[in-house]
Amino acid sequence: MSSEGPDLVCEVDNVQGIVDALTAVRWKRQQDAVVELSEHGVVLIVEESSCLQAKVYLQRELFIKYEYGGAQGRPRFGVSLGLLVNCLNTFSVPGSGRSSSTIEIRYPGPDMQLLLKSVDSLDACIYAEIRTRIPETISWDYNFEPAGTTPISFTVKSAALKEAIDDLEWPGSSVQIILQPDPPSVTFKGEGHGDLQIDFMYYVNTDLLIAFSCDHQVSYRYKYKFLQATTSNIPSSVIRDNRGSKLTIGRGGMLKVQHLVSVARPSIPHPHVDSAGYQQPSRIAYIEFFVKPEEDESTIND
Amino acid sequence: MKFKAFLTENGVNLLEKRFLPALDKMGKICHLYLTRDHTMFLHNLLNGDGIQSVAQFRKEALFDDYRISSQNEDRIAFAIDISLLQRAVRSSVSICTEFGSGPTQNRLQIKLVKKLPPNCTQPMPFLTFETKGYKSAVIQDVPISKPFSRAQVIELQTALDMAQDLPQTLVQVPDLNQLQNFVDRLKHVGDLLNVSISKYGDLLVQISTTLITVGAEFQKLLVIGEQADAPAEDRNLSAQTRSARAISRGDAQSVQVSVKHFAKSLQCHLAKPDCAFYGIAPQGACLTVIFQFFIPGSRQTDKSISLHCRLPVLDPGSS
Repeated sequence: MSSEGPDLVCEVDNVQGIVDALTAVRWKRQQDAVVELSEHGVVLIVEESSCLQAKVYLQRELFIKYEYGGAQGRPRFGVSLGLLVNCLNTFSVPGSGRSSSTIEIRYPGPDMQLLLKSVDSLDACIYAEIRTRIPETISWDYNFEPAGTTPISFTVKSAALKEAIDDLEWPGSSVQIILQPDPPSVTFKGEGHGDLQIDFMYYVNTDLLIAFSCDHQVSYRYKYKFLQATTSNIPSSVIRDNRGSKLTIGRGGMLKVQHLVSVARPSIPHPHVDSAGYQQPSRIAYIEFFVKPEEDESTIND
Repeated sequence: MKFKAFLTENGVNLLEKRFLPALDKMGKICHLYLTRDHTMFLHNLLNGDGIQSVAQFRKEALFDDYRISSQNEDRIAFAIDISLLQRAVRSSVSICTEFGSGPTQNRLQIKLVKKLPPNCTQPMPFLTFETKGYKSAVIQDVPISKPFSRAQVIELQTALDMAQDLPQTLVQVPDLNQLQNFVDRLKHVGDLLNVSISKYGDLLVQISTTLITVGAEFQKLLVIGEQADAPAEDRNLSAQTRSARAISRGDAQSVQVSVKHFAKSLQCHLAKPDCAFYGIAPQGACLTVIFQFFIPGSRQTDKSISLHCRLPVLDPGSS
């Protein structure tokens, strides 16, 4: 007999971490997100005009409790991202004597709502119900394929990446990203109201460019506003931790930008944190952006 | 009509640091109502729209050498701008401390006067603050409205009597700060706040829009007045279900108020009350919040000070 129980009942002990991860993909005030539930965790997807897509992976290890009951397939629902984030913010109430609260998230409610409830205290609780909708199928299949046998990618300190992209706002509406193997380097170029070129040299700026892989020169243009969306809302914790963000250029110039957001409670030392501040993957949320390149005959590729 | 009194050090502290900042949030203009025994600051009693608030002091709590006389059974009332009053008290205090040591040296006198302001042909009424030092005196005139006529005072007193109705059940708010933080976040969600109070000591505060419902429930609060035991079978139900059941049993009431009014009423924490109680008036006429002040160093109510607010109900909930 199929169970009548909910598809998912889970508990989160650091709401702020979840809010940080979700905020990383909020580049507009009003965004409709698609949420997908599975036994592996929760994935939230937002996209814009078939040119930009972002995914937040919250794997089940982030939750202190994760009971997945979804029988067939992966339940999906649509929800307003802004509403979800604002709602989660009401749960982390300062001045309540605790730095974070534990909340239970349940789906679906009797009316297919997303149900949230704080479970810290017996005599006081905050609760919320968010209306969901049947999601549209994602229009664009972001099938990311590697560019060739050798991946074209680099890892750069997140703070440096954000700063570079912020600086490129000045020249104009599109940014050219050029990777070349010899000398190994990444160049960001903006042209418009004046020119700006930012170079990261692999063997020179070793504190900024952490990893690099490229066997032939590639160059693609991306619309500035989409590129900016990939770093504009990086949570301050990511900048502070100064982890690396990985950028990969796939076939056809599709750009993948990956960030890691810590979801662990900062006040309590995690048993898996070593001296360098590295945390086990289980306390990290993964953010992925996919940006389509601009159609441009003048891209220089082999 | 005559009014003259000296503000004591205690009075200055109560007004300058606590009550005037809180009352300033209730509204710019308030009615100052002076009687033989009491001094009251009243907001919105004569017009029905905003939050009504009543701050009442026995004269000894604020003044020394209090003298009042009028043809209206020694009652005087007028409208005054709270921020101007606050400014006058504040600057008088700084002058006081500048000029001498100790409260007996420079006494802060408040007087009702009629003066001819510059560029005016008619004398106008003022509440005057006078600080007398060794060599000089500083005088500050706070403009006030024409003092109320007999009929107006009666109207004010009647409105005051109606505002003193106590709800049958009052629940003690556990943490004003926490509630204020929560309600401040709710302001972004919507405009209408549902407040439910039960005889079991449950307080539910909720906002609903078509897309989202957010609320907070506090259980097992201290109850003053009519109380009852929560039925055991309701224990594991959701907050909203529990509240709906209690209302259908007649053990709870629910009203809708403006979230902005509710947030404003919480600003009364600036008066530094020791605790606060919420209750719904009979027939859901309004939401009442009563602030309690203890005699310093004890848990006994200081009966010489009282502050309470009444929030207009927007849509009569079930009662």
